[in-house]
Amino acid sequence: MGRASAERARAAPGGFLLALPLLLFFASAVLWPVLDLLRSSLGREGGEALRAVLREDRYRLALLHSVLLSAAASAGSLLLAAIPAWVLARDDFPGKRVARALILLPLTFSGVMVGFLTLVMLGRVGAVPTVARFLTGAPIGSGAAYTLVGLFLAYLYFEVPRATVALESAFRRLPRDVDRAARTLGAGRWTRLRRLTIPMLAPAIRSTLAITFSASMGSFGVALILARRFSVAPLEVYTELTGFQNDAAAGVLCLLLAAITLVVDRLLARGRA
Amino acid sequence: MRPLRIGQALAVLALLASGAACTAREKVVIQYDCIPNYANWGGVTALYKAVAGVTIPPDPKGSSVAMAALEKEARHPVADCAYYSGAIGYQAAAKGLHQPYRPKGWERIPGDLKDARGLWWTVHTATIAFIVNTKALNGAPVPRSWADLLKPDYKGMIAYDDPTWGGTSYTLVYGINVLEGGDATHWKPGLDYLKRLDRNVAAYPRESIYNGVLRGETPIWINADGNGYKMRYVDGAPVEVVIPSEGTFTMPLVMGMAKGAPHPEATRRYFDWLLTPAAQAEFAKAFFRPVVAGTLPADLAAKFLPASEYGRARSLDLAAMAGAADGLKRAWLETVRGAR
Repeated sequence: MGRASAERARAAPGGFLLALPLLLFFASAVLWPVLDLLRSSLGREGGEALRAVLREDRYRLALLHSVLLSAAASAGSLLLAAIPAWVLARDDFPGKRVARALILLPLTFSGVMVGFLTLVMLGRVGAVPTVARFLTGAPIGSGAAYTLVGLFLAYLYFEVPRATVALESAFRRLPRDVDRAARTLGAGRWTRLRRLTIPMLAPAIRSTLAITFSASMGSFGVALILARRFSVAPLEVYTELTGFQNDAAAGVLCLLLAAITLVVDRLLARGRA
Repeated sequence: MRPLRIGQALAVLALLASGAACTAREKVVIQYDCIPNYANWGGVTALYKAVAGVTIPPDPKGSSVAMAALEKEARHPVADCAYYSGAIGYQAAAKGLHQPYRPKGWERIPGDLKDARGLWWTVHTATIAFIVNTKALNGAPVPRSWADLLKPDYKGMIAYDDPTWGGTSYTLVYGINVLEGGDATHWKPGLDYLKRLDRNVAAYPRESIYNGVLRGETPIWINADGNGYKMRYVDGAPVEVVIPSEGTFTMPLVMGMAKGAPHPEATRRYFDWLLTPAAQAEFAKAFFRPVVAGTLPADLAAKFLPASEYGRARSLDLAAMAGAADGLKRAWLETVRGAR
């Protein structure tokens, strides 16, 4: 037994005590509710509810919307966040802290608020159609807030900051000397990006995609305000619970949401060494 | 640095502790469905705070959500009372979520607007109407009838609340079925109309869109008439209230005391006060008709559409409405909002 592992063994009881608050929190805030959810959705009514959820278009379409929107928001936010994250990680410029704070600001807004902001911009008489009417005579974008595109833009609004945070720290860890060495050896800008930077960043890109995807899958407040003519899965959970006190269907939908999110997360994690 | 930090931490703790102490001493009544700009609950609760020192916090739940919450919390009640549109209050009482209380002034509530045991009672009434922001119509004429609403002029302009969320809209969905020739078990006529209307509907909101109508975001909102009068006379908006020519429906809005209410005495005193002329007149400021006759101030009465218009409003059978509620709401979800 090496010295390091002996020390680790001695530290274990103390470590357990230190972790106890977190464990208690985990048990009460995660484990118990999840078990309760499993109980209500896997019982006798649960089987019935699962069949209904898998059979009826309303639920299936809501789940499909959720998956497509989350995938799009996840990919879109990655693309949009790459440049600000790169600049924040690699460059120093005056006002950098202010710039970072501004980029992160949407993370502090609740979903309902983001929904209302989207209405102000892209509602039937929102700012965008008003300006467009002034410039072109046609109210372009009027009512877009109520469409899937509007919801996608609203998701981007709070997923871009999330992706920026995740990518920035990855960019910061990127070893610069490897890049310099490659340049010395005569590799061009694109070769370096393709053969070095992107492979080195791949794990961070995958985990960023996973984070933003799962956050979008669970997002509720924005959809509550905007998704008025179509639905996403968290809204169906709300409708079943509040409109019909149908715990079983709500529970089944929650479990399906969680299962899809976990599977996507595992797929993205594969190869993320 | 260190002593300063400790000092700061102590100050924060002291502040938190004094906050907690305040909450402990503060007198409260918890009412589910207490939306400040619906029926002037904001004004009513502020007035009660002034006269009785009791706080009634705002609560954004619609009727159906309020009932669902009472049901969920039945074993550990949090709320003292709830406010509903009539049918949902009736349903909540039938589910055993209420306890009886007959407030002072009980005899002044008409017999068909209260439960004999006091499980629910009407606090004011409203009529389903079109609330039209005339400036936002883009030149289209003000719609006068349910038939008008189907015209392509109004595409994307109409909203009514999701009936699985709000009781006002459930009243509309049930009522339109009666108007179209359906009944408590035969829902096709109403659902057919609403399906045709769907082509013009912009939104089935699950929160109050009062401000959206004011801004012109939603030009036509099918909702309680009082909300429209308030936009017009209190907020000065270019809003017209229309009683459709084919007829419409009156809606009692009811209170029920929650079973196991944590503040039972305070709730009973609050209920007593709600029927006083002062409280009734306060509701009237938002143009919800007081249930107690003679408490509607004359200047406000003059601002309503004439009684002849209201002659076309019919009342609906609350027991039948409550019985149909779950099935009809689900049928609406499946056939009108549908899968998309």
